[in-house]
Amino acid sequence: MFLQQLINGLTIGGIYAMIAVGYTMVYGVIQLINFAHGEIYMLGAFFAVSFIAFLHLPFFVAFLLSMACCAICGVLLDVIAYRPLRNSPRLAALITAIGMSIFLQNLAMIIWGSRPKPFPHGSLPEYFEKTAVSFWGVNLSWFHLFIFGITICMMIGLNLIIRKTRWGKAMRAVAQNKTMAALAGINVNRVISYTFALAGAMGGAAGIMVSAYYNSLYPTMGYLAGVKAFAAAVLGGIGSVPGAMLGGVVLGIAEALGAGYLSSLYRDGISYAVMIIVIVLIPAGLFGKVLKETKKSM
Amino acid sequence: MVNIKKMTLGAKFRIGLLALALILPALPFATDYFLHTVILIYLYMVLALGLNVVPGFNGLLDLGYVGFYGIGAYTAGLLTVHFGFSFWTIVPLAFLNGALWGVLLGAPTLRLTGDYFAIVTFGFSELVVLFLTNEIWLTRGPLGLPGIEPVSLDLSLFGGPRWEFVGEVPYYYLAIALVLAAVFVMYRIQDSRLGRAWFAIRDDEVAAVSCGINLLTYKVFAFAISAAFGAVGGCFFARWVTFLSPDMFKFWESFLVLCMIVLGGMGNIWGVMVGAVVLVSLSEILRELLPLLGLPVEVRFLGFGLIMVLMMRYRPAGLLPIPAVAAQMRSGRVRRKKVKATVGLNK
Amino acid sequence: MTAIMDIRKLSKNFGGLQALKNITFQINRHEIIGLIGPNGAGKTTLFNCVAGVEKPSSGEIIFKNGERSESIGGKKPEKVTSLGIARTFQNIRLFDNMTVLDNVKIGRHCRTKSTFFGAVVRNRTQKEEEEEITAHACECLEFVGLRGLNDEIASSLAYGNQRRLEIARALATEPRLLMLDEPAAGMNPQESRNLMDLIHRIRDKGITILLIEHDMKVVMGVCERVVVINHGEWLTEGAPADVRNDAGVIEAYLGTGAANAA
Repeated sequence: MFLQQLINGLTIGGIYAMIAVGYTMVYGVIQLINFAHGEIYMLGAFFAVSFIAFLHLPFFVAFLLSMACCAICGVLLDVIAYRPLRNSPRLAALITAIGMSIFLQNLAMIIWGSRPKPFPHGSLPEYFEKTAVSFWGVNLSWFHLFIFGITICMMIGLNLIIRKTRWGKAMRAVAQNKTMAALAGINVNRVISYTFALAGAMGGAAGIMVSAYYNSLYPTMGYLAGVKAFAAAVLGGIGSVPGAMLGGVVLGIAEALGAGYLSSLYRDGISYAVMIIVIVLIPAGLFGKVLKETKKSM
Repeated sequence: MVNIKKMTLGAKFRIGLLALALILPALPFATDYFLHTVILIYLYMVLALGLNVVPGFNGLLDLGYVGFYGIGAYTAGLLTVHFGFSFWTIVPLAFLNGALWGVLLGAPTLRLTGDYFAIVTFGFSELVVLFLTNEIWLTRGPLGLPGIEPVSLDLSLFGGPRWEFVGEVPYYYLAIALVLAAVFVMYRIQDSRLGRAWFAIRDDEVAAVSCGINLLTYKVFAFAISAAFGAVGGCFFARWVTFLSPDMFKFWESFLVLCMIVLGGMGNIWGVMVGAVVLVSLSEILRELLPLLGLPVEVRFLGFGLIMVLMMRYRPAGLLPIPAVAAQMRSGRVRRKKVKATVGLNK
Repeated sequence: MTAIMDIRKLSKNFGGLQALKNITFQINRHEIIGLIGPNGAGKTTLFNCVAGVEKPSSGEIIFKNGERSESIGGKKPEKVTSLGIARTFQNIRLFDNMTVLDNVKIGRHCRTKSTFFGAVVRNRTQKEEEEEITAHACECLEFVGLRGLNDEIASSLAYGNQRRLEIARALATEPRLLMLDEPAAGMNPQESRNLMDLIHRIRDKGITILLIEHDMKVVMGVCERVVVINHGEWLTEGAPADVRNDAGVIEAYLGTGAANAA
């Protein structure tokens, strides 16, 4: 039982991690908590399902196409809603983010209806159901392996992008000091858009996998997942990508074990509690830097 | 005592509105549904005035206001259902309880930066909803808490009648009384040492500290007052609709009240009241209108989200900005210094 | 002369950066003393340590108020203000969205005490206190020469007036020691002269003044004594004319070679 819960925790934790890095990257470059990120996660699922149902695309193609669309959505979100407020007080941007989140949730409800939908029948590869590995009383299906595989690949890929590519370096520069980055010749706006694209793609991928795994998608699915992933990002230290990954996994496991052994009713409460406790006790999280008020110079 | 000739145009206008409000139930179009909506507006005015203290007067974003509203409502509901408390006893209790929770939540968290504080308040209100939903032994959870007695006025001690509130009209006047009380308190605070300290915190924390203001004390107090108002609002709500359920206290309510103060004018007492009027009316009008246009009801919410985005982009100070910002806008300074146009959000 | 403040071996480091190192000097009662040094010398850090905004890494700051001596290093800024030390800021920090009068009234905060209850109920104590606050604030505004601007929004004031407003606000806290951080910055010669006159008048009221300033005319014209710091260390102190000709000071500002040329 414990091992099964652990596997569940790891699975969901990987998903949280993928969403969490989106929050943390965006926070890193523009110090904004992108409340609408959860909605991009949700849109990922809906795009994929729409591609499968209406364009009859195979699962993996729909997966990739949806990720691309979510990347674009992320960029659009930045350009349309956040970029005009780049020099406004941060809380104005925060309110805008909440507004966009509400807007997108309800837009999805209008387009696709508010009732939960199942993943299109027969669209997932058949072998996903079958057990791939079995040990110590625990069964891992191919779907599990797929999710683990994708999450791990994306984590590694993201790390490589951030550490080894020019864009990644530019992102880190912008996160540290926008003005200096601009003076060094970096096109800050473009780097920020790039960050949103990456965040969107990963969030979308997470959305597809969750909706396929639980065979259910609905317009408000981004809300809860978004909050939890944010809690994971805070746990890991907001602004730190490895932190967000670790935070996601830890939160997923904590949730699975907590729900299994303590109280399933408060499963969602675990994230909120973790978030509050981390913020109050160790604002820097596991890896991050403590947020400082941007003070006017003395 | 009150010289009508000396009153400003604005004051005369407001007195006129008050007079209109007092005779409203007697007017022919004042159906129960209409009065119900207006009472709802008054309730949200009280809530908006309460929330206004935190972002409007102090410049801190509070995303968890509905938590206090819910605590107030359920406290009132449970005290009434299980112990038969009178409404008039519950109100001060709710006020104090709300303030207490404001202090408990605020003291450890108001040292944090604005972003973190906002998140913590959000988490708190979600936990409140979870608690209300799960602790079925206490709150009956999703089944809801029915049978809350309406308000009653028992003057038998003074040899008068005992009078139970029936229909919307008594609640209408009670609501007006609450709004007047809230406005009175806010008005007095605005022009006092306490109010000035809060505004100082909003405008420049470092300078405020250099004048001897202890940030944490004043912020916690602001949060407590805000929570107390929310709780009193919840109290009224419980005894008015006589039925409570946890899904009445979701994040959406916090967002809605925030919308009202952002739209109306953060920090401006009249502004937030106008915001309440506009959004509740809009909500009700759209609720009737949208099905007629063949659109689903969710378009309302979509609209509100859009309003917030547009307001932040084009008029962050709201419809009725505070006097300082209004003066700056008139003199054309806004275009040069965008930051100043967003009062209350300087962090 | 009795000392009002005794700074002993004050040191402050930020991580690896040593901003202040063993600074030691005294401030005498009713003195106008200047603190000068090249940019980055640590002057504002010193101010911040005294004002409570920064916590000293080591050393002591003793404030002698009448009979009592208090060690104020590490105390919170609001406490420092209530003990009688007020300050202004290098980049003016006014309450932009409040009127001129309200800005100064807030200065009175640390000397008054009415609360929520008083605000709502408006009992006699509160009303009297409010009248006192208003009267005192008006006095401070008159004193610094700001007339007829009480109801203007602070951010709409001309720059020179904004500086004066900040000083009025600091005066409203009833300080024994007033610390001015580059009050003459951005002022033309006429405004600087008015400022010097104001500083003299403040001292005549019995307030000691510590001044950071780069404008040497102001330093020469107003300071009785000057302390020079460089790279966070005390360099020299003395009468302005002596300090001005000190080789070490010239070298600090202009570099080696300039001292020889002087």
